[in-house]
Amino acid sequence: MGPNVISVSVLTGFLGSGKTTILGHLLREPEFSRTAVIINEFGEIGLDHELVETSEDSFIELKTGCLCCKVRTDLARTLQDLLQRRDRGSCPPFDRIVIETSGLADPAPILQTLMTDGGIATRFVLGSIVTTVDSMIGVGTLGREKISQKQVAVADRIVLTKVDLAGAAEPALLRRLAELNAGAPVLYAEHGRVKSQALFDTGLYDPRTKSLDVNSWLADDVHKPAHHDTEIEAYAIVRTDPIPAVVLTLFLEALAEHCGADLLRLKGIVHIAESPERPAVIHGVQHVFHAPIWLERWPSDERRSRIIFITRRIPRRWVEVLLDAIAAEVAQVSEPL
Amino acid sequence: MTGVSAELLCELLAHSFVAWRVAGSVQRSGDGAIVIGGNAKNIRIDPAPPDLMFRWMVTVDGRKRVAISLVAVLRQVREALDPGYATSRLRLAVAALVPS
Repeated sequence: MGPNVISVSVLTGFLGSGKTTILGHLLREPEFSRTAVIINEFGEIGLDHELVETSEDSFIELKTGCLCCKVRTDLARTLQDLLQRRDRGSCPPFDRIVIETSGLADPAPILQTLMTDGGIATRFVLGSIVTTVDSMIGVGTLGREKISQKQVAVADRIVLTKVDLAGAAEPALLRRLAELNAGAPVLYAEHGRVKSQALFDTGLYDPRTKSLDVNSWLADDVHKPAHHDTEIEAYAIVRTDPIPAVVLTLFLEALAEHCGADLLRLKGIVHIAESPERPAVIHGVQHVFHAPIWLERWPSDERRSRIIFITRRIPRRWVEVLLDAIAAEVAQVSEPL
Repeated sequence: MTGVSAELLCELLAHSFVAWRVAGSVQRSGDGAIVIGGNAKNIRIDPAPPDLMFRWMVTVDGRKRVAISLVAVLRQVREALDPGYATSRLRLAVAALVPS
């Protein structure tokens, strides 16, 4: 990760949940002055971009359709275009990009584009995923709209909006959010303002330090107990023994093949047996996995492999046994004759 | 010798049915094979004979196929049990197994 790598964060949330209002307030803060914005609206006439005050030169509206299903190539092209303009100096310099998705967007394909498109994956790194939830009607929306569940499940941060109108978040809503994503801290927005200044700097890449911040990326999820939803579940697999590289490869291959869309998100740091001093950072969305990122060193004294899963109806025990069984087979193959 | 105990494989298969959302049963036969029932299929998993370069032998309704690894066994079992299963294997780039 060099200094020219740009963090791309995703602001998602169901229709009317307050994404644009949040973004509008954030962009007025000094620390967000070097932020480029991409807004994706679903429909013929875009309006959100009119509601966000930012530099025209570092702002792009994608209105050809919903990002998740129609314009993935447009997103890649837009990012490349922004980067070229930045490199040429024809737009204000920016250190961070925020993509506001349409309210109906499945975030997974967007994350996949950021991770896998050959033209952009080397210059951009996935920042954090922030999901807004309407505190007044969130329970109903989450009960009715599958896509809103997925938006919450993959989030690094959840922002409860309209708290000033609701008075307080319903306990039922907080329980539901914990069921869907126990690892993501819940922040509160009053009148569209979020107190946390680190809303978008919680991903793998920290634009402030221009380095990988694995501990903060993993810590919240690893240390919280798994909560169970009827479909979506989050859990962490921890292994003390180093994992041979080929075991990890086969494991990820099997996950991709058998879980597909039910593997909402995976992220982790892995102690590879052949690389004891340089751990691998892995992350994937559905059947797409980013090539491992090799850290120069361990970020702390904790050297266990930790892999976090957010899945839909994929039993934790299946994942554990799959890894153990592959490791057992590979170990037997590796034994001297 | 496959390196994978029969108990571990049975547990993996039982949880696989849940993950795949298919009906199936798994048990060990008296001769050491693992027998799976489901989707009107009879499936049997044996360690491959030592003279073969493969590790497993998967028999579906009498038809024998070899499998080079546990991952291949899972694929064959799922193909037999889950008619709607279509693998979507997509290798996007060659990545180093260890840092260069």
